[in-house]
Amino acid sequence: MNLRHLSKEPRRRDFLRQGLNGLGVGLSLPALLRTTSDALAADTLEGKPGSNPERILVVVELTGGNDGLNTVVPYRNDEYYRVRPRIGIRKKDAIAVNDEAGFHPSLVGFERLYKDGNLAVVEGCGYPDPSLSHFSSMSFWHTGVPNGGETLGWVGRFADAYSAPGTRNAIVNIGSSQSLAVRGKLHPPLVFAEPAQLRRIGSDTEKRSIAAFDLNAESQNPTLAFLRSVARNAADSGALVRDAWSSYRTPVDYGIAGGLSSDLRKVAALIAAGLPTQVYYVAYRGNSFDTHVHQADLHSRLLMYTADAIRGFMLDMGRIGRSADVSMMVFTEFGRRIEENASEGTDHGTAGPMFLVGESVKGGFYGATPSLTDTDAGNLKMTTDFRRVYATMIGEWMGHADTRSILKGEFEPLGAFA
Amino acid sequence: MQSSDRYWRVCAPVIRTSLAGTLLWIPALAGSEGSQATNWIDDLTPITQADWSYDLAGHLLERAGLGGTPQEVQALAEMPVAAAIGHVVNYEGIDASTLEDFDESGLWDPGMDPFPPSRAEAVRIARAEGQAMGVDVLPQGSTRRLQPVVDKFFYGLRANALETRRLALWWAGRMVATPRPLEEKMTLFWHGHFATSEAKVRDYRKLLLQNRTLREHATGNFRDLLMAVMRDPAMLVYLDNGQNIKDHPNENFGRELLELFTMGVGNYTERDIREASRAFTGWTNDAVEFRFDRDKHDDGTKEFLGQRGAFNGDDIIDIILAQPVTAEFVSSKLYRFFVREGPAPTTKARLARVLREADYELKPLLRAIFLSRDFYSAPSVATQIKSPVQLLVSTYRKLGLSEAPTIPDFNAQTRRLGQALLYPPNVAGWSGGRTWITPATLLERGNSMRDVLFPQDSESFGHPERRLPGIYARVAQRLAQGMNITNATRSGDSGSSMLADADEEYNTRYGGYRGYVLAYERVKLVPRHSAGFELAAIVRESGAATASEAVDHLVKRFLRTPLAAADRQQLVDLLTEQIGSQALGDDRAELEVALRSVLYVVLCSPEYQVG
Repeated sequence: MNLRHLSKEPRRRDFLRQGLNGLGVGLSLPALLRTTSDALAADTLEGKPGSNPERILVVVELTGGNDGLNTVVPYRNDEYYRVRPRIGIRKKDAIAVNDEAGFHPSLVGFERLYKDGNLAVVEGCGYPDPSLSHFSSMSFWHTGVPNGGETLGWVGRFADAYSAPGTRNAIVNIGSSQSLAVRGKLHPPLVFAEPAQLRRIGSDTEKRSIAAFDLNAESQNPTLAFLRSVARNAADSGALVRDAWSSYRTPVDYGIAGGLSSDLRKVAALIAAGLPTQVYYVAYRGNSFDTHVHQADLHSRLLMYTADAIRGFMLDMGRIGRSADVSMMVFTEFGRRIEENASEGTDHGTAGPMFLVGESVKGGFYGATPSLTDTDAGNLKMTTDFRRVYATMIGEWMGHADTRSILKGEFEPLGAFA
Repeated sequence: MQSSDRYWRVCAPVIRTSLAGTLLWIPALAGSEGSQATNWIDDLTPITQADWSYDLAGHLLERAGLGGTPQEVQALAEMPVAAAIGHVVNYEGIDASTLEDFDESGLWDPGMDPFPPSRAEAVRIARAEGQAMGVDVLPQGSTRRLQPVVDKFFYGLRANALETRRLALWWAGRMVATPRPLEEKMTLFWHGHFATSEAKVRDYRKLLLQNRTLREHATGNFRDLLMAVMRDPAMLVYLDNGQNIKDHPNENFGRELLELFTMGVGNYTERDIREASRAFTGWTNDAVEFRFDRDKHDDGTKEFLGQRGAFNGDDIIDIILAQPVTAEFVSSKLYRFFVREGPAPTTKARLARVLREADYELKPLLRAIFLSRDFYSAPSVATQIKSPVQLLVSTYRKLGLSEAPTIPDFNAQTRRLGQALLYPPNVAGWSGGRTWITPATLLERGNSMRDVLFPQDSESFGHPERRLPGIYARVAQRLAQGMNITNATRSGDSGSSMLADADEEYNTRYGGYRGYVLAYERVKLVPRHSAGFELAAIVRESGAATASEAVDHLVKRFLRTPLAAADRQQLVDLLTEQIGSQALGDDRAELEVALRSVLYVVLCSPEYQVG
């Protein structure tokens, strides 16, 4: 039985109608009525192809610059062992997935997903004129506009174009602060680190009185209208998120608790509760993957957390009958220097692999493997512009054909979805 | 004319009073009497004495300052308009000698400069030289002979982080207490413009120095400020200019100078960045002193923004300042900080001209903005989302406090709300505006107000900055139980062997723990106290005798835009219910709690988030 269609569909339809009727008081600006979002909303109502309202994208950020070469290991490449004599993953330890590439031994979770055909590896992802600064490079990945002055995030711009006006919680960002990636014009993302955060303190009388403010009142003051819309969102979503979280139980193992596994469990709880969210964004806290020194143990643990949590999450999606609706994209702001450094770690580099995960993903390898000898001053030359992967998620997965206006340029999707 | 009359008569832009004294929101009447709010948009003509009112003064104090009490607004409103603006802008004449300097704990021991960039580097130095950061390694054969060095490294990190938080508290206190609010507000503006974070600098002395530099030039000359900041040790470290040397230029500094500090993206090429970076090679620092390293400076010919020459850093700055776009970029950013989004193209050009014609003196520009009709026009008033720092500081100032409370903790609150002082998120500073607001931060903003109005007592609040993080608290506990260092620091999770590997020469986790202990011994304790104010007295002194009058006073005192009639009424009902009558009565304690409850509700309103 497909529970989803019994329980969720009507709610979403109501919701889209309300959105079209100008549910968002503060959003009743002409800008909202841009043809794209209007047409899209109409399409969604009619169930036309071109958008996939049930589909969900989960973005996972490996913050700090994941060492791609020790993640997807070129275990047949002598050069790799020459430049990484101490920290290179030995051939016998790598989990060979084809004749050239092996996964880091901690990536057991990825190996299983790969064997099931549900994991794609996109090699050599980067952008022209790469920055080796965490801040700059991450902001380029967040905005999707490298070396440009873009101030909005690619997820935010996508939601602006894709999600129906008035959509509540089109984007959920688990984190203590809002990622630049989710910053858009129309859809304030629901951002929280812990569900308990979305709780107002005070006496019952005070809370009742605060809840009695008329948040639907019209205002000539656009800032006030905006605040009221967020306040409505907080009031509605706060209880929703807390209820979703407190009623959520899963027998699925996400690996060691904390970090990504806890955050993906929050995502699972919200999906299970039927939030209309189209993009979830989760990130490692701090610069976890910034492995300059003695990286072997630390990197091994980080990869294990990542793979176990992601596989656990996808199993959980299967358990609640949503695995066909959810795909994940895993990225980092840069790979690391090809050669290991003097303190058994690696310094900031350039290109690295991305991962796509989900039942609808056509598993396998995409993009050319970057050369270890034809390099850019000791850094990998990128082979796949990361915006092609974004175009894949936006266009092929979410079904929004006009990736060009969101990504500010033409980027060919990879053909990674069935 | 009575000043209170003036408030009630003009009430620009959109407030009217009904006969019953109820505030009503009547947008349709905006501009129909008294106020020219709509006609004034993008009009830089100075307002006149006839326009000047309590409400305009309130707006000025909110935006050009950090908010204030009705008495302070009234005092400003009673000055002639030019004098009022002068009072705000030409603050040098106002005595600020009662503001205390930052009381340094004194943490930097001889030998700690230059501080190693990482624990690994500290260990490398210690192995090579037998000492690091002024600490000797133990004799051959000793257990963990590098431990003192590792302890010292972590001490340096922890102590500077803790001292930086003290520094931020001192600054917050200064913002609350200062009689020159524009000075602090502009210092805050420049802190966001020339954003520099302790997270990378790891040296409170450099941040203190930068803070003083920003304050010294806060409303002075932009060229002087820029010259000072480009020589500022915190900035040089933050943007890696120590690594910007001849033959290996690091472009971080040059890129941010052009992109974020002066011209904005799109007005120069990548080549200009490289050439500018060459001109700044050799600009470095010894601890808190700027140093020009001639040997590392590239004195060759550079081609920058169409000019050729053997430019140095100062030449580059002057070429940048000669670009019309630079004056536009800086004046527009100030406009956005003080007025609203925009400015419109004509306004932008005119503001830039004011700045350029004054040779980058900032005061003529600030005066022009604060005097302009545009500054007081409807889209400029009560449309700005207060930054977290502004929210807290102005709350304290509106309560009439002369000193910032330390319960709740200002740093913890602003961090949760997204604006920890001295920890901007990145070199671009805080994005501001609507990005302050997420559902979680909007709730937190309200919650933080309750912690102000109903603070914890100092006993239960304790000293949060002395609370060891979980993993180190466990180490302390195990050591106290008599465990040896190896066992006490053993990791809880799945058999990590990392610490054991390093346990022979030194133990990292123990060093991390010792770093806290040593820092606690040296960094001065923050005295903890909550805000001392009596809301009941404040409300009574305003002349309020009934629940409605009390609510009206709180609304007038705290909000820059009125509440809807129904929202106001439910506050009156709430207060009436809490005190059991319309009259305020004699039970001070009961009234105090009830008023604080009502004020909490007011401060949770969307209206309180705008200023």
